[in-house]
Amino acid sequence: MWAGGLFIALALGINSVALSAEQVATQGRAPAMPEVVTDLSGTYWATEYHAKLQPLGGGEPPLNEAGKAAYEMNRAGLRDKSLDDPVRTYCLPDGIPRLLSTPYPFQLYQLPPGQVTFVHELNNQVRVVPLNVELPTDEQILVAPTYEGYTTGHYEGGVLVIRGKGFNDQTFLDSSGLPHSDKLETTERVRRIGNQLEDIVTIHDPEYYSKDWQVRFVYERRPGLRLQEYVCGEPHRDISHIKGIREIREQRAKGLFP
Amino acid sequence: MFIRFHDLKADIALACVLTAILASNMASAAQSTASSQNALIPPLMLPYGAGWSGGGGRGNGSEVPPEDFLPADFLNGPEHIEAALIRGVPPDKIRAYLQTRIAGQYIPPASGLGPISDDPKHPYFSNSSQRAGVGKGSTVRVAGLEDAAAKNLKPWALEALKKQNELALAGKNTQPRMARCWEVGIPAFDEIRHPLYIIQTPEEIVMYAGKYVRHIYMNVPHSKNLQPSWYGESVGHYEGDTLVVDTVGQNDKTLVDMYRTPHTEQIQVVERFRVINSGKGLETSFTVTDPGAFHKPWSARRPRYVVTDYPLAEQDRICAPGNEDIFNTGLEPMQKATMPDF
Repeated sequence: MWAGGLFIALALGINSVALSAEQVATQGRAPAMPEVVTDLSGTYWATEYHAKLQPLGGGEPPLNEAGKAAYEMNRAGLRDKSLDDPVRTYCLPDGIPRLLSTPYPFQLYQLPPGQVTFVHELNNQVRVVPLNVELPTDEQILVAPTYEGYTTGHYEGGVLVIRGKGFNDQTFLDSSGLPHSDKLETTERVRRIGNQLEDIVTIHDPEYYSKDWQVRFVYERRPGLRLQEYVCGEPHRDISHIKGIREIREQRAKGLFP
Repeated sequence: MFIRFHDLKADIALACVLTAILASNMASAAQSTASSQNALIPPLMLPYGAGWSGGGGRGNGSEVPPEDFLPADFLNGPEHIEAALIRGVPPDKIRAYLQTRIAGQYIPPASGLGPISDDPKHPYFSNSSQRAGVGKGSTVRVAGLEDAAAKNLKPWALEALKKQNELALAGKNTQPRMARCWEVGIPAFDEIRHPLYIIQTPEEIVMYAGKYVRHIYMNVPHSKNLQPSWYGESVGHYEGDTLVVDTVGQNDKTLVDMYRTPHTEQIQVVERFRVINSGKGLETSFTVTDPGAFHKPWSARRPRYVVTDYPLAEQDRICAPGNEDIFNTGLEPMQKATMPDF
């Protein structure tokens, strides 16, 4: 039950209501092990940007035949502009993993209780990750897939694990047009390493990929940095110092596609 | 089309937990009062699953304001009307609420100058309320230009509203800018009908509703040499149990209400947020000062109440899809980028 999960999540996630183990147990679902919640909160900013997702361990994304065909079609369409990239032109939600590629800063809050919230400068996206809820069933998703998908988070030894599914098929995995279907499922493992935040995402989409694959994102902690407004079609914060941005802008100015 | 991911029993359970949490938050806030210099920190932040409704609840019709919000602060989204009819509230009573013109928008202050409201000759009723047989009138907003609020407008602003009225009555440009996916600015952010969610930390408060986000920096002065922006700069502090937010530095591209009342870059908005009704309500009020557009400051209220059943599927923060001007009614263009900048 979705709401059943929600109810438990709420109970587990609340700091201000101290529930004893017995109380949790009487609600029918005691956690297997105590959760270690490390402080991941802060403002973060990537130092490099890649228009195309870079698989962890090197190589190319493991597209299957259908995936290769879809990728070629996307790239051809984006190149001759017969295909729009509405995420960028109309500032729609990027979806996962594309949002993780953002060259703009974002905030991570382990708040409100029962929830982790990513507040992005890019498109003013707010990504709400409820903790310890059950994901909707495939039937429910079939009726209402969304740009942002549905997610649930939990902590495993200080690592925030986020599972996502229910993404619609209106977005790409990245700016190069890597395809995904509405069967896409993602698992992220988010942790702090010193002054950095690491997010390793596993991409599961058997419709277009021959096996699951991973991409690693790293962001620097930027205390005191305020997020700025981001409005489609207007000039935004200067990100030219982010590695990779200059190159991609030069390419685009020449009419080349990443 | 709408999907419910949870059932009534769980709703009730959630509501119980929520009440306990709110009470507990208040208690812990009260305890901290003794030990810190801070006054009571109002528990504006609700746990996951709960938000401060602005009267918009699509689909399920279950989002009816609690009884103790009636009648004075009844937020009549169209679904409320249908839900109230189903609940057996007599149409006369509903009509009486509607006559007070509280159509999911600003409510006048207890005293003093208030916001622009309907032209009495063209009272606004949504399609849905007309369908439900409650009220007949305009389905577009036409500003009243004879009352004290209108007389408070500088001549150019009054002229702008006159022009907009003519357009609206001709069926042109009938949508507020919010419906065209433009950033809304302050105070129009308070008018958003989606649930309002608040992240509350000692340094910063983040508010988000629908696809709109704003940041409030706590206990700091305004920055010097602010460049005009869509939301300007908001700084906040607590006065007793009230969050007070001061906003300056906004551009003049936003409109203060659904009638399209304009403002200038001189606009300053002071908002006050307070939790009321044992945690069930969020009292929101604001005062607008803008010597460029209004002779004197004016105020309005916009109460919200806790909702725990807003459908997740409708929280996808999107605006543009399906929003083209298909009937060619002179709607403003949506904000759009011609080329990705990265």
